[in-house]
Amino acid sequence: MRLYEPLATAQTLERFLADPAVAASIAHRREIPAREAQLEPMPAWLDPRLRDALVRRGIASLYSHQAEAVEAIRGGEDVVVVTPTASGKSLCYNLPVLQAVCEDPAARALYLFPTKALGQDQSAELRDLAALADLELAAGVYDGDTPAPIRSSIRAAGQVVVTNPDMLHAAILPHHTKWYQLFEQLRYVVIDETHAYRGVFGSHVANVIRRLLRICSHYGTTPRIICCSATIGNPQALAETLTGRSMRVVDRNGAPSGAKHVVVLNPRPLDVRQGIRPGALGLSRAAALAFLRAGRQTIVFGRSRIAVELLLVGLREALRDGRGPLQRVRGYRGGYLPSERRAIESGLRSGEVLGVVSTNALELGIDIGRLDVAVLAGYPGTIAATWQQMGRSGRRQDVSVAILVAGAGAVDQYVANHPEYLFDASPEEARLDPENLHVLLAHLRSATFELPFADDERFGEQPAAELLAFLGEEGHVRQAADGRWYWASENFPASEVSLRVASPENVVIIDTGGNRPRVIGEVDLFSAPTKVHEDAIYLHESRQYHVDRLDWDERKAYVRPIDADHYTQAELSVTLKPLEAFAEAPLSGGQRVHGEVMVSSLATIYKKLKLDTHENLGWGRIHLPETELHTTAWWLGVDPAGVASWRRDELDRALVGAGRALLTIASVLLMSDPQDLGLVAQVRSPHAERPVVYLYEAVPGGVGLAPRLFERTDELLERAADLIRDCPCRSGCPACVGPSNDDASPKTTAAALLRLVSGTSRTRTSTAAVA
Amino acid sequence: MTAELARGAANVADMADRDLRLRRLARLRELEPRVRPASELSRPAPRPQSLHGAERLAAAVGGRVAQTDGGSVVVVERTVRVPFDPAPLARLPFPIDPTRPLFLLDTETTGLGTGAGTLAFLIGMAWWEGELLRVVQLWLPDHPDEGAFLDMLGTLVPADAWLVTYNGRTFDWPLLTTRYRLLRRAPPPLAGHLDLLPICRALFRHRLPDARLASVESGVAGVQRTGDLPGALVPDRYFGWLRRGEAEPLLEVREHNLQDVVSMAHLLNVLSERLADPAGHARAHPGDLVGLARVYRRQGRQDDALACLESALALPDPERQAWGGGWAFDRGQAWLDQAALFASQGRGEDALLAWDEAARCGGMTAVRAWIAVAKHREHKLRDPAGALEAAASAERLVAKRRSLGRFDPWAERDLGRRLRRLRRRVARLQQIADRRAVRHPMDALPLDAEARGRGSQQEVPAA
Repeated sequence: MRLYEPLATAQTLERFLADPAVAASIAHRREIPAREAQLEPMPAWLDPRLRDALVRRGIASLYSHQAEAVEAIRGGEDVVVVTPTASGKSLCYNLPVLQAVCEDPAARALYLFPTKALGQDQSAELRDLAALADLELAAGVYDGDTPAPIRSSIRAAGQVVVTNPDMLHAAILPHHTKWYQLFEQLRYVVIDETHAYRGVFGSHVANVIRRLLRICSHYGTTPRIICCSATIGNPQALAETLTGRSMRVVDRNGAPSGAKHVVVLNPRPLDVRQGIRPGALGLSRAAALAFLRAGRQTIVFGRSRIAVELLLVGLREALRDGRGPLQRVRGYRGGYLPSERRAIESGLRSGEVLGVVSTNALELGIDIGRLDVAVLAGYPGTIAATWQQMGRSGRRQDVSVAILVAGAGAVDQYVANHPEYLFDASPEEARLDPENLHVLLAHLRSATFELPFADDERFGEQPAAELLAFLGEEGHVRQAADGRWYWASENFPASEVSLRVASPENVVIIDTGGNRPRVIGEVDLFSAPTKVHEDAIYLHESRQYHVDRLDWDERKAYVRPIDADHYTQAELSVTLKPLEAFAEAPLSGGQRVHGEVMVSSLATIYKKLKLDTHENLGWGRIHLPETELHTTAWWLGVDPAGVASWRRDELDRALVGAGRALLTIASVLLMSDPQDLGLVAQVRSPHAERPVVYLYEAVPGGVGLAPRLFERTDELLERAADLIRDCPCRSGCPACVGPSNDDASPKTTAAALLRLVSGTSRTRTSTAAVA
Repeated sequence: MTAELARGAANVADMADRDLRLRRLARLRELEPRVRPASELSRPAPRPQSLHGAERLAAAVGGRVAQTDGGSVVVVERTVRVPFDPAPLARLPFPIDPTRPLFLLDTETTGLGTGAGTLAFLIGMAWWEGELLRVVQLWLPDHPDEGAFLDMLGTLVPADAWLVTYNGRTFDWPLLTTRYRLLRRAPPPLAGHLDLLPICRALFRHRLPDARLASVESGVAGVQRTGDLPGALVPDRYFGWLRRGEAEPLLEVREHNLQDVVSMAHLLNVLSERLADPAGHARAHPGDLVGLARVYRRQGRQDDALACLESALALPDPERQAWGGGWAFDRGQAWLDQAALFASQGRGEDALLAWDEAARCGGMTAVRAWIAVAKHREHKLRDPAGALEAAASAERLVAKRRSLGRFDPWAERDLGRRLRRLRRRVARLQQIADRRAVRHPMDALPLDAEARGRGSQQEVPAA
């Protein structure tokens, strides 16, 4: 067999999978059949200039979802469009906006994108379309890089203002009087990549949008809102929580696609009993090589910048000396210059670039055309992100391939062992909680700064007055004799709030590696001891930084960029005190509860773990004060009678083991990072006087994960039990209940505990666990 | 379990319950101070304003209450004698039309930002009625009175007014515009706006420690303030009134604002009497005239610039004490500026005389003068040998300064390049002259071509 010859995608896949080393790793394969395009004629009301522009682009009719969306928007509805990658989503909002400008040049629109790069990309696309239509359009990007003279012209005359939530929060809304021309004529607000607004960021952005709509109504406008989201489990709920409006969902995809082969590969364990596994990189590289040598356009997703570099170096090494298309394989990640990125993007569209290795920087809607093959080196963390990355391959006509190579981590292993989960389960839900008091109060200050509050005014769902009274105690806000609440302080409240963290007090992360020290981000105080302790490896935009010094009193962490082969994980000594149960319900052998808790944690040591295999490379001590977190939690109480005969150490290991499985499943179910939740197990809770497992939200006030876990407790318990049952290890491994020493087997007891609480006693499960 | 904790909370729908939120808020209140910076700790609760807040304010600041439908405004009036002739201002290179009513304005605010949450609570204004300057202050008794407050400002600003402010172009006027927009009203139209801050920077900053209005006033108009309230303390005085009803501390704010407004009148007077009117130049600080000359020159008014420099150079060195102890007059710089003007007008002889004067001032001024002479001789007079001599003079001065421990990196770099190039040119010309002397006259043509060719090559290493 020659190493390097063109071959069709389907044959290449068969040849690759036939390799004995690969064949043994196939966990699942499935073919998704081809889909025909569902077309609708152009709407009759569309301006002829726009119609001509589309025809010139080769678009004679709309896909059904585009037609449905533009008609609904035309009818005055707020719409959320949910379709896969590269299905022509941006036309769903660009058409109504351009039509509005055709009908009335005074009309204005505001576009929000989660990142600057996307904003640039989409405003270029919008301008191209307007130019094709011979339409005079003033569309401008307003972000941190916009020069001052251009800023004032965008304020005065920008018909379409493209920005991001952070700019809206800190630069536009507090200065809304300078933007009155925009707000007085605002017809549309476009929120693209809506699924990115979840967790803390989403909770903040929902409040920024409340402020935006409040300003609009001050200027007498009620803009329609158009959201676009990747496929997630609850697009309507997400868009409605985010905007406070009821939304029409458009999710029947009318874009065509060729047949797609999806393969899940799980590298064979090195040691089955202890569950020691190789990482995802080796097999990912082999897959990419097979397709690149066959001349198929391939994208490889690595989970971190360093993974991307390792893959790229490996591929280049293997392709050297005429063994493959070396020069046509490129890397793509945060930190590349915009011009480099643009060159790679256009190279991918033209076919000149054959292979690209990328972080998730390419996951969000940047246009690179459609490729033959997507290789995912490791589970991206959520079903939604998995489909987004897999969606990068997919020809309109031809067969395409998506390969997921599972890594060694617990979530990866769960997915590899339950591949049906990827296909059959609805994708995860994006959670956010605009009512998080920490977040809400921060934005209420900004909102008062922007406009005084009437005494009976609502902010979101609820009346604002009692919260304003609370702010009044601080002295920043006061109620005047007319009953209205006014901002009465020298402070500029928006500058005290970062949309990326929950509480106002943060540790600022300063990169000292460049010519001048530069702030690259912040972490909230509670997470600081585990994320930026001295010698920690801190990840920012998929880039690794080493923490040289943490100045706790000044709240500053000094870091410099490095390329290390490991990451760090801190261990916490945590005590938890429940403050109030918001809701409680019985289970057959215990209770499920959702409530507010106080968590005190002390970081003790950190471990250095190898990036790919999570192998332990060493450890160090952390010397930092205890921190307190006031947050929400879900917890599981165990009826003491059921475990009366258990030894205390046995019960302890069972609780921790069950807790680890629950934590894994919780992060799978809720589309959250495993680090967003913390685990505490108490053999005898001083408050409940019984064994309890707590999962608490690692963000002050929480972002709505805990109430959702409360609602989905049954599913959580069942899947955690499945996870333990189906793990091939003998008595516990990092992929299920955690590693064990040989004599004690938390695997059996943890599974028994879960069964006890949920009341399911499936004999098959117990025999499997015993055997 | 946790029965005592679960009281009153039966299901998740209760999350939306207001009582629950209040309980959580109460807990947050207890917990927050531990994680909040001291600067944000809670202050005493606001004391309710008495119904007669406006009256109390008026009594405290010596004003009267103007009651309108939209609310109350407290008005303070004063007259100050400031004889002033606006007509000469028309000659100045600044945007001002003295035939319009000049309307002086200065605000006191609750902060330095111009975001929607910063409030102007005191607007001081003034206009001339003959020799008398009428000063009117509008005070905002409370937030809800803002509509009346802005309306009254609108009635006081004449339709064709020319606004005069200090930093008002970037601060006071945009802030007031914001307040009007916030109340969905149009700001009063203006015929024009003269911001004195950039003018004072250009004319007076050379002899003042900073460009604050109080510093400019003492250095330029010779008015010393005593017990003036620092501007940074102004917002807290007003919050003290809003929150605790403390009216007395606002007296100092009244005086601060009054003085600022009157200061602007004095500054306009200085501009008119000493700078705009050439007859007044004799009473001006010569350094101010040098600054004015530069503004004229930037606007292409070279003759006016030269007239200012003439006046400045004709004045004796000012005594420091008479001008508030400021910096001395840099006469050499005036000569350099004058020479540059002459040179650009093609008056080479006059320029050389001025450079000669500058060179006699010594120090860096002399170095600059010699370098300027070198440029002039090389490029205008086509005299590389003369230019080399001038550059060498500059180099000798720089070397002397270096030996005294003064390093001038800019001059060293410039002179290094200049001397190398000039020496090459002079040597080349010498060679050509030598060759021309020995060759047959018939060879003159190709030789010229060769010389031109080499000549253009010479420029390359020089660049």
